[in-house]
Amino acid sequence: MDPLEAIKATFFQECDELLADLESGLLELEGGGGDMETVNAVFRAVHSVKGGAGAFGLEPLVRFAHVFETTLDEMRSGRLATEPAAVKVMLRAADVLADHVSAARGQGVVDEAGSVRLVGELKALCGGGAAEIGGDEVVMVDTEVEDDGFGDFDFTPVIVEIGGSAEAAPLDPSALPTWRIGFKPSRAMYAKANETALLLRELDRIGACQVTLNADNLPDFDALDPEESYFSWVIDIETDQGEGAIREVFEFVEDDCEIAVEATGAGVGAAAPLDVPFSFDAPSEPLDTPALVAAPEAEAAPAAPDSDVMALLERAKLAAAEIQATAPVSAPAPAAPRAATPPPPPPAAATHPADGGDAKASAGTTIRVDLERVDRLIDLVGELVINQAMLTQRVGESGLARSSTVSVGLEDLEHLTREIQDSVMAIRAQPVKSVFQRMPRLVREVAAMTGKQVRLTTEGENTEVDKTVIERLSDPLIHMIRNAIDHGLEKPEIRVAAGKPAEGVVKLCALHRSGRIVIEVSDDGAGINRERVKQIALDKGLIAPDATLTDEETDNLIFLPGFSTAATVSDISGRGVGMDVVRRQVQALGGRISITSNPGKGSTFSLSLPLTLAVLDGMVVGVSGHTLVTPLTAIIETLQPKTNDVRLLGPNGAVLAVRDAYVPLVDVGAVLGYRKGETDWTTGVVLLVESEVGGRAALLVDAIQGQRQVVIKSLEANYQRVEGIAAATILGDGRVALILDVDALIDVRRKDARRSAAPPAARLPLAS
Amino acid sequence: MSKTVLTVDDSRTMRDMLMLTLKNAGYRVVQAVDGAHGLEVLAGENADIIITDINMPRLDGFGFIEGVRQDPRHRATPILVLTTESDGEKKTRARNAGATGWIVKPFNPDKLVDAVRRVAA
Repeated sequence: MDPLEAIKATFFQECDELLADLESGLLELEGGGGDMETVNAVFRAVHSVKGGAGAFGLEPLVRFAHVFETTLDEMRSGRLATEPAAVKVMLRAADVLADHVSAARGQGVVDEAGSVRLVGELKALCGGGAAEIGGDEVVMVDTEVEDDGFGDFDFTPVIVEIGGSAEAAPLDPSALPTWRIGFKPSRAMYAKANETALLLRELDRIGACQVTLNADNLPDFDALDPEESYFSWVIDIETDQGEGAIREVFEFVEDDCEIAVEATGAGVGAAAPLDVPFSFDAPSEPLDTPALVAAPEAEAAPAAPDSDVMALLERAKLAAAEIQATAPVSAPAPAAPRAATPPPPPPAAATHPADGGDAKASAGTTIRVDLERVDRLIDLVGELVINQAMLTQRVGESGLARSSTVSVGLEDLEHLTREIQDSVMAIRAQPVKSVFQRMPRLVREVAAMTGKQVRLTTEGENTEVDKTVIERLSDPLIHMIRNAIDHGLEKPEIRVAAGKPAEGVVKLCALHRSGRIVIEVSDDGAGINRERVKQIALDKGLIAPDATLTDEETDNLIFLPGFSTAATVSDISGRGVGMDVVRRQVQALGGRISITSNPGKGSTFSLSLPLTLAVLDGMVVGVSGHTLVTPLTAIIETLQPKTNDVRLLGPNGAVLAVRDAYVPLVDVGAVLGYRKGETDWTTGVVLLVESEVGGRAALLVDAIQGQRQVVIKSLEANYQRVEGIAAATILGDGRVALILDVDALIDVRRKDARRSAAPPAARLPLAS
Repeated sequence: MSKTVLTVDDSRTMRDMLMLTLKNAGYRVVQAVDGAHGLEVLAGENADIIITDINMPRLDGFGFIEGVRQDPRHRATPILVLTTESDGEKKTRARNAGATGWIVKPFNPDKLVDAVRRVAA
């Protein structure tokens, strides 16, 4: 990629981060928190966006950012209070800024009217100062005219008046205009690391120079202060570039020196003595620039060993003696110590002021790696795990004693492999913050559109989950939040009438639970209107008229394809996309979604996802000659069912008594179609599992073969989706084993049980 | 041996731009993400020229320049200030802190290299 394009990509990436910082900073301010540093950070975010945008010539973005920045600067300087009203405007401005960034990226367009309106609001916030930051007169670069007129490096062509009188006009048309420059640096100029030699070198670049040094002010050596500035120069230069170019050379130092530039006509020789603001005595012997530039680099002294310092001092002494002897005749420049030269550092000062090295910048300790490389690494580690398992199995088969060195070594290898795998997975893990951060804006927008008052609270945003999961989390979350506001929360007046605060709360919460990440979106709205849900489902023919549904089942009807509760299709959630799409998206991630609702108090959508899509700890079991893997996270315990504990239920259903409770028994072999006919419930082993929704079930398998970490290979990608199966893996012996989807198995069994318990009409297509 | 430029900027974009431009011009580039980091880097690296932003977290450009100038090794190291703000006040403050010169953002590569050359011995 073209390096500039690459940097531009980086810029947009950085923009995303900056916009997120901006928003979280503003939200902190809005909540009454935050301090001066928060304001500063917010300012810097906008400032950096503007800076980068400027570099790429993204004008509309720069223009908007500039107004925004100016307003923030008012806040930073304390002229504008961080009161909620102002912060609210800024939050909206942040949204528009994000739009501008997207537009600059070629994604979407900016609502011009909205942008202009916000510019107005921002300016209004600035009050009296508004006139100064009018959006229309904002320029790409702040090239306000400096006191000198050279605020920028831009070379501004200057009309040079050459004399204006006949005698000053160039006599020879081919001769270039000449200028005489008087230059007397101050001590301060050298203290800022500016160098006369460099300035002369620059002058030499724009025209032929004749440089004259005036060293008259050099005191006796005893009185010499090595950091004082004693010299002045007169430079005659022949150039057609005009006074502007000459002045530009001195741009950095003009406040720290006396300088005069006068046109002297044409040809260096034409220079006549001039009345410069400081008096020059008869110029001493002319030196041409290269000689001066080649002057011994006296500043090498600080780092140089003693002998160099001594040599330098020796030379300085000689020069001083010469000056004294020939006074008032000037000294040649090369012999004189350069005034700018810092003295050799005194030993005491030699320690540098770097404070505690442990305060390392956190940003400095991260690297950015191409995702592909990480994925490749993960793939390879996956293969390594399989290989290691294979090796362990082979060694086991060879009949070596467990205590043999080979076996012990293999065990170590297993530990190492697992650690490598964990570490590699950790590389991909990211906090869900990046997704959560996009939600406040969504809430603001949906709230504005629906006329509801909403406050979003988030929890557990540092919960980490695999990057691929994060990327695909955004869409379902957006939909769930829209839904919570649009359908869940009531209008303010209704809330007040119901004795609730007018402002509704949507809570977004992430946590780790038994090896999965659970994300909950809850609202304190009215909860699901079950009567209406049931009616709609009936009207749409989604359920049979005589179906008896539990509350939970009724609530879950909203996940059915084609279900939409909004009486009027609203702009927000009614885009023909229902909760069924959300459910499908979540399922595609190996996750599940469920809803619990409490009439009058609100609803909670709960989304459970695997932490990683790459590995899994599993229990390897045998069923009818097939090898299957059950996710270990789902298993509570394993037991051998006793005849007394099994109770038959219906023609082919059964429950198992486990410590005073009955759990449904699922014959895995039958559900997956490995065997037909009646199940013998008392042979084999039972895995007591817990499903995502909290219900327990007992899975009947033939035998347990062991516990193993397996690398997940997608079945959908390699074959197709199979109900009851989550994915596949390759075992140590090279065979493919299917990984069970525990929840789906329970669902299948539940459906079957219902089908057999009630006539077919009551069939519930709950599980897709 | 090529000269070493230390760039101090909290914006990754800007750091990348500086890196690209300066490398193409034959300089060796070391980077720091803010003023405090810049001083840390300087403790272990010798820079011939320093380019720094003004608005940065932890330690801003003014503080950074003062810190650099306090180090006897860097009293005479040229420091260019890099900022979008070209207003006189900021420049004066930077100059008072000991800055050698300044570069107004956005810069084009030629301007940047030109400015570095102007202050680099």
